[in-house]
Amino acid sequence: MNLDLTIKKTWLYKINPSLKLLVMVLLFIGVLFVHQLNMIVYGTLSALLLLILFSGHPPKRLALLSIPFIIVFVSTASSMILFGKGDTTWFKWGLIHITEESFYRGIHLGFRALVFATLGLTFSLTTRPVYLFYSLMQQVKLNPKYAYSFMAGFRLIPIMIEEFQTIRNAMVVRGVQQQKGIRSFYFKLKSYSIPLLSQSIRRAHRIAVAMEAKRFSEVKKRTFYYKIGFSGYDVVFIVSWVFLIGAAYYLSLNVPILPTGDVRYE
Amino acid sequence: MSRGLKLTDVLVTIVISIVFGIVYKLWGPLYYLVKPFGIQLDQLIYGMWFIAAIVAFLIIRKPGVALLAEIAASSGEFLLGSEFGLEVLLYGVVQGLFAEIVFMAARYKRFDVAIVSFAALSSGVGSLIFDYYKGYIGDLAVWNLSLMVGFRLIGSILIAGVGGYYLVKALEATGVTNLVRPTTKQDYDALDQ
Amino acid sequence: MTNRHIAASVTNLRLKFPDDPQLRFKDLSISFEKGEKVLLLGPSGCGKSTFLQVLSGLIPSSIEVPVKTEDIQLPQSWGYVFQDPDTQFCMPYVDEEIAFVLENLCVPRQEMPTRIKALLAEVGLTFDDLHTNIQTLSGGMKQRLAIASVLALEPDVLFLDEPTAMLDPEGSKSIWDTVKNVSDEKTLLIVEHKLEHVLDLVERIVLFNQNGEIIADGEKGYILTHYKSTLKEHGVWYPGVWEDYLRSRTKPLMNDPRAEIVFDLQGFQGLRKKDPAITVPSATITTGEWITITGANGAGKSTLLLSLMQFLKTKGTYTLFGNSVKKTRNVTEYLTFVFQNPEFQFVTNTVYDEVAYALRIEQMDEQFIEEKVNERLECFGLNGLRKHHPYQLSIGQKRRLSVAASIIKNPPVLLLDEPTFGQDSRNTFALLEMLEEYRVNGTTILMVTHDEEIVKHFATRVWKIDDGQLTSDYFNVEKELVNA
Ligand SMILES: Nc1ncnc2c1ncn2[C@@H]1O[C@H](COP(=O)(O)OP(=O)(O)OP(=O)(O)O)[C@@H](O)[C@H]1O
Ligand SMILES: Nc1ncnc2c1ncn2[C@@H]1O[C@H](COP(=O)(O)OP(=O)(O)OP(=O)(O)O)[C@@H](O)[C@H]1O
Ligand SMILES: [Mg+2]
Ligand SMILES: [Mg+2]
Repeated sequence: MNLDLTIKKTWLYKINPSLKLLVMVLLFIGVLFVHQLNMIVYGTLSALLLLILFSGHPPKRLALLSIPFIIVFVSTASSMILFGKGDTTWFKWGLIHITEESFYRGIHLGFRALVFATLGLTFSLTTRPVYLFYSLMQQVKLNPKYAYSFMAGFRLIPIMIEEFQTIRNAMVVRGVQQQKGIRSFYFKLKSYSIPLLSQSIRRAHRIAVAMEAKRFSEVKKRTFYYKIGFSGYDVVFIVSWVFLIGAAYYLSLNVPILPTGDVRYE
Repeated sequence: MSRGLKLTDVLVTIVISIVFGIVYKLWGPLYYLVKPFGIQLDQLIYGMWFIAAIVAFLIIRKPGVALLAEIAASSGEFLLGSEFGLEVLLYGVVQGLFAEIVFMAARYKRFDVAIVSFAALSSGVGSLIFDYYKGYIGDLAVWNLSLMVGFRLIGSILIAGVGGYYLVKALEATGVTNLVRPTTKQDYDALDQ
Repeated sequence: MTNRHIAASVTNLRLKFPDDPQLRFKDLSISFEKGEKVLLLGPSGCGKSTFLQVLSGLIPSSIEVPVKTEDIQLPQSWGYVFQDPDTQFCMPYVDEEIAFVLENLCVPRQEMPTRIKALLAEVGLTFDDLHTNIQTLSGGMKQRLAIASVLALEPDVLFLDEPTAMLDPEGSKSIWDTVKNVSDEKTLLIVEHKLEHVLDLVERIVLFNQNGEIIADGEKGYILTHYKSTLKEHGVWYPGVWEDYLRSRTKPLMNDPRAEIVFDLQGFQGLRKKDPAITVPSATITTGEWITITGANGAGKSTLLLSLMQFLKTKGTYTLFGNSVKKTRNVTEYLTFVFQNPEFQFVTNTVYDEVAYALRIEQMDEQFIEEKVNERLECFGLNGLRKHHPYQLSIGQKRRLSVAASIIKNPPVLLLDEPTFGQDSRNTFALLEMLEEYRVNGTTILMVTHDEEIVKHFATRVWKIDDGQLTSDYFNVEKELVNA
């Protein structure tokens, strides 16, 4: 997981995780109501700025993680550009019909996907799941049954990846890959997915038993090893978003980059 | 029906779902590789993203599991750094909810391939509604939109519905599902031999 | 009826696993007084772990198995150390794992760090940084951590299911000393095959037979003197079992002196995350050698075997039967490996298929396979379990199955990672004798073990690993061999 990599702990790490998640979700919903192309372009730039400057990850790693974004951008935009409704035709060839409207609507969608991806990456790169769930228990009163199950589940991710390796090793030892034939692909798929899933279920079950043996019960009020509270950074975080959105709005009105307003088809 | 989910149910659901979360994460790039072929062929494999709810429900067979599973799978995908970012979380909630509604309508008493396909179809519908707001899909040319809807729904039924069903069948053969299913009265009667 | 002096009791317990034809327990009644220290003995697979789970209430509250009792009194406050060290944790880091227990007990946050340190010290674990990832600990270290987190519960009744099966001798001793120190007032219900250290601790012994019936129950000294032949008959460990065994065993044969060189290792290193985790400066191994590998928990024994299998990246010269080793593929032709965790290597759904697997790949005749598999199942005490799923076996049975399935194809070299842990004496001796037979016929055996007796009586050569280094390598002169 990204979260165990060496990183500089910037102020983004110190924000209350529940608050961070809430802000991100609000931003997400907010973006759904933005139909002005220039607004979304500036909004995306703001989000990228935050990611690049304050995620604490080296630029090289960020660049690597962003490669899929470009693919997402292109492919999200392309369907709408090629097949969207519009009146001002730029290009027409068979089923493909590119219009000015569909083009800018496609670009808008691409940027939308980019904002979501950037916000999501910023969150997941700067939040340790354990802190998130401790915070959700303390601030949102999430039932510990769910919180600890999630934490135990996330703990298992590296174990499952290692297990995948071990299953492979075991199959080599046991001579599984010696088998050949037309159905060998199906067989391989099955021989990895079934043990991995059934082993995960068994492991989850045993962990649940072990947790109950350690007196994990939901009735009483529990104490918390990590106390997650609020701090000045939370204020900084909110204020900086208010500022960034305001700036994006101002710039989209006064310094538009692209010559379009609302991208919806009337 | 017992009151709510036990810790075991929750933990098993979440762990299965996280396995699928990893699959979901790997599915993203695949989806975008298929996408450039145009004519919405990518929609045929979209159904993979609904499979966690189906599989978890078929294993645990209790209310709430489908919704929880889809949320857990998407948060796993999200925390692994999905290229879709935050939207996976919200899609997860919607898709899980739509599958859950179908199981609820069957009073959580049916576990056959038909009901499961129907739940998968419902998840597909849920995702399309969300897409309507997010992706302006209403502004696509009509023929294109129909292809998209058709392919997505067919894919849902095939991958999540039928695929999920047979996956659980294969798991049942390993005996692992007995761990989480309640003991039957027959088993208890056997004690009096 | 609850009795204040009773820590736990059960009357007429019946229990049956759904896919088992017969009852595991039939009308079993027993009670344990407060403060009693009891050892439960019995052959592997007789139901000891299951019994502890019933008495703690885990069956049926967390593990749904059909049970029926006329009356059962469960302890109020208890702790449970499980056999398997890998699946007792729910948090990723050492400190968080113990904190989880403390949270359950509502210990104030400020007190947690000191409590965590004290608990870890109690089981002999020290870390530079408490925030250490549990995944990087060796099997033995994990088990100590599991004990530490159970001690955090400050339980009145402690259920211990072979807590030291994977620990080195010093580690086991220190764990039992720890248990002794903390258990003054506590009731102890212990399942353990090896009696060395537990015997000082317990007062009462309960003996089960293969069918899960209690065949003896009484004061320690009485049982050990009056039931010695019963213990022996049921293949349970007892003091002096090795002497009895050695007296009855026939001397093993000497090998052909013109043995062929199998391994040649020069400056061989196994790497974890690019750092050497095990170093073998120089060694050659020939056919017919039986090397036992000993060393403290976390020393790098498993790492050595994994490196020889090429599952880890390696450096240096590694020649196998005269060929330089480059890829796993050419290694697995010669080497068979039994993982420390037996579950890792099960690939089929039944015990029978598991043993038959290697033969089926070779496309042998089904008739022949059936004969051979049956013979093996008999010999490994797995006969009644052929239709079971490998994961449904007891720990000892799983271990035996993993060994049986691996060695059935007569490989020239066997790498075994603690193949005898959690075994009763009969199965241990049966396994060792089978290995000895292989060795006499020229098989090379590298076996990780913590058991000094096995080293003394079976190894032809002894390796000791310290801190990632092969530090000592000598031939075992105590092992008496006779010329053919
Ligand atoms: N879920 C299950 N389904 C069917 N059979 C089972 C299941 N769990 C255990 N068994 C069987 O019940 C028996 C008792 O198992 P248990 O783990 O209690 O043995 P044990 O005495 O602790 O053995 P060991 O010393 O090897 O740990 C074994 O024969 C095992 O195969
Ligand atoms: N998967 C892993 N990733 C990183 N480090 C590991 C891993 N497994 C083991 N180690 C480390 O490598 C060292 C050697 O571990 P190894 O498992 O070889 O010990 P061992 O001698 O087999 O101990 P034990 O007797 O407890 O099985 C230990 O310090 C351990 O912490
Ligand atoms: Mg046991
Ligand atoms: Mg080891």
